[in-house]
Amino acid sequence: MLKAALIIARKDLRLTAERSAGLAQAAALGLLLIFLFSLSLVPGQRMSAQGAAAVFWMASAFCQVIIFGMLYGYEGNKGQKQGLLLAPIPVQSIWLGKALAGIAMLACAQALFIPAAVIFLGQEPGPAWKAGLAVILICDTGIAVAGSLTGALAHGQTGKESLLSILVFPLLAPLFLGGIRVGSSAFGGSDEATGDWLGICLAFDAVFTAAALPLFPFAYSTDE
Amino acid sequence: MLLRLNDIARFYGPRLVFSDIFLELARGDVLLLCGPNGAGKSTLLNIMAGLARPSSGTVLCDEELRISMVGHHSCVYAELSALENLRFWTGLHGLRLSDKELTGTLERMHLAAFAHEKAGTFSRGMTQRLDLARAFTVNPDILLLDEPASGLDEASLAVLRDETAAAAGRGTGIVLITHRPGELSFPGCRVALLENKRLRLYEDFDAFRERAN
Repeated sequence: MLKAALIIARKDLRLTAERSAGLAQAAALGLLLIFLFSLSLVPGQRMSAQGAAAVFWMASAFCQVIIFGMLYGYEGNKGQKQGLLLAPIPVQSIWLGKALAGIAMLACAQALFIPAAVIFLGQEPGPAWKAGLAVILICDTGIAVAGSLTGALAHGQTGKESLLSILVFPLLAPLFLGGIRVGSSAFGGSDEATGDWLGICLAFDAVFTAAALPLFPFAYSTDE
Repeated sequence: MLLRLNDIARFYGPRLVFSDIFLELARGDVLLLCGPNGAGKSTLLNIMAGLARPSSGTVLCDEELRISMVGHHSCVYAELSALENLRFWTGLHGLRLSDKELTGTLERMHLAAFAHEKAGTFSRGMTQRLDLARAFTVNPDILLLDEPASGLDEASLAVLRDETAAAAGRGTGIVLITHRPGELSFPGCRVALLENKRLRLYEDFDAFRERAN
C-alpha cells in the first residue's frame, strides 16, 4: 500500500510542479489572510502569540481546502479515476498518496506562513520552537488525513464541493486548538500543557486514520 | 474462466437498459461487442470491470485478476510526458520496466519520437495510442476496450490488431466494443450483439456476418 501511495504522491507532486499555479494560489490565500490580520495592529504593535498562532492555522486551514480540491482534480478526467480504481492496489493507497502529497504541499505553504507571521504579526520564535515544529507535523498529518477523505467526497460534486470541504473545519477543531496552544508557546507564549495538547493531536490523527481507511472506498467510487 | 456474467440486468431509473445477460470470458478469448448507440455496451463493459453494479444478477471474477480498460475518457495525464505516463501506470501495476522497455512499447505504437513530449500536446489519435500502450503494457488478465479504434488511422489500426492478437496469445481475455467489427475481427474471435435489451452471441465473425447479411 505504501509503495503505491508513494507512486501516486510523486505523480501528484510532479503535476503540481508542472501546473505550479495551484499551490501558489493556495499559499497566496494564506499569506493574504496573515497580511489582512496584520492590518488590525497599529504600527509597532505585536499581536499576542496565541492570536498569531490562530491566524497561522486559519491560513493553513483555507490552504488545505484548495490543496485537496486540486489534488483530486488531477483525476478530473473520468478515465484517470477509473484507471486508479482498476489498478491492482488497495484503494486506500489513493487516499494515502493524496494525503502524503497534501502534507508536502501544506508544509511548503507553511514555510512561507511562518516568516510571514514573524514579519507581519510581530512574532519571535520562543524557547519552545521545537514543540512548534512537532505540532505542525502532527497537525498537518491530521489535516491531510481528514482533508484527503473529504477531498474524495467532494470531488466531482460541483456545487457541493466547497460546502463539503468547509464542513471539514468543525471536524478539525481539536487539531486547531492543539495547534494554536502549542504554536502560541512556540511564539513565546505560555507553554503550559504543551505535552497534553500534542497527545490530543496525535490521538486525533489516529482516530481519523482509523475512520478514513474503511470509509475511503465508499467515498471514492465510480458507480453510476 | 476469467469472468462470468450470470443473468445480468441493468436499469437507469425506471428504464431497462438490458437484461438476461449471460456471458463467459476465458483466457485468450477475444469478444467483439457490437450494437447500436445507446444499447448499453459501455455500461456492460463497466459492469465487467467492476466499475458499475448491475441492477440484478451476479458478476463472478477473481479479485486477484488484473483488469485494464481503455474507455471513452483516456487515462493520460496531459502534463506528463508519454514516458512518464507509462512509467506511472506500470509502476502502479507493480511493474518495474526500464526506460528502454517503455520506449520499446512507445515505438510499437509509433510514439517513440514523442516519448519526452507532454501528452497534452498530442492529437486525439496519439493520445488514444498512448492510452492503448498503457493498457497493453500492464499485461492484464482481462482487457476491456471501448471503441479503441476511435481516432486511429489505418497504420495505428493495424498496430491495434497486432497488439490485441499478441495479448490474446499471452492468455489475456479481451472484450472489445466496436461499431465496425470487420475492422477488428480475428480468426477465432466471438461476436456479441447487444440489441433490443438482449445479448446475442455468435461463435465467430462469419456467423455474425451471415446474420447481418
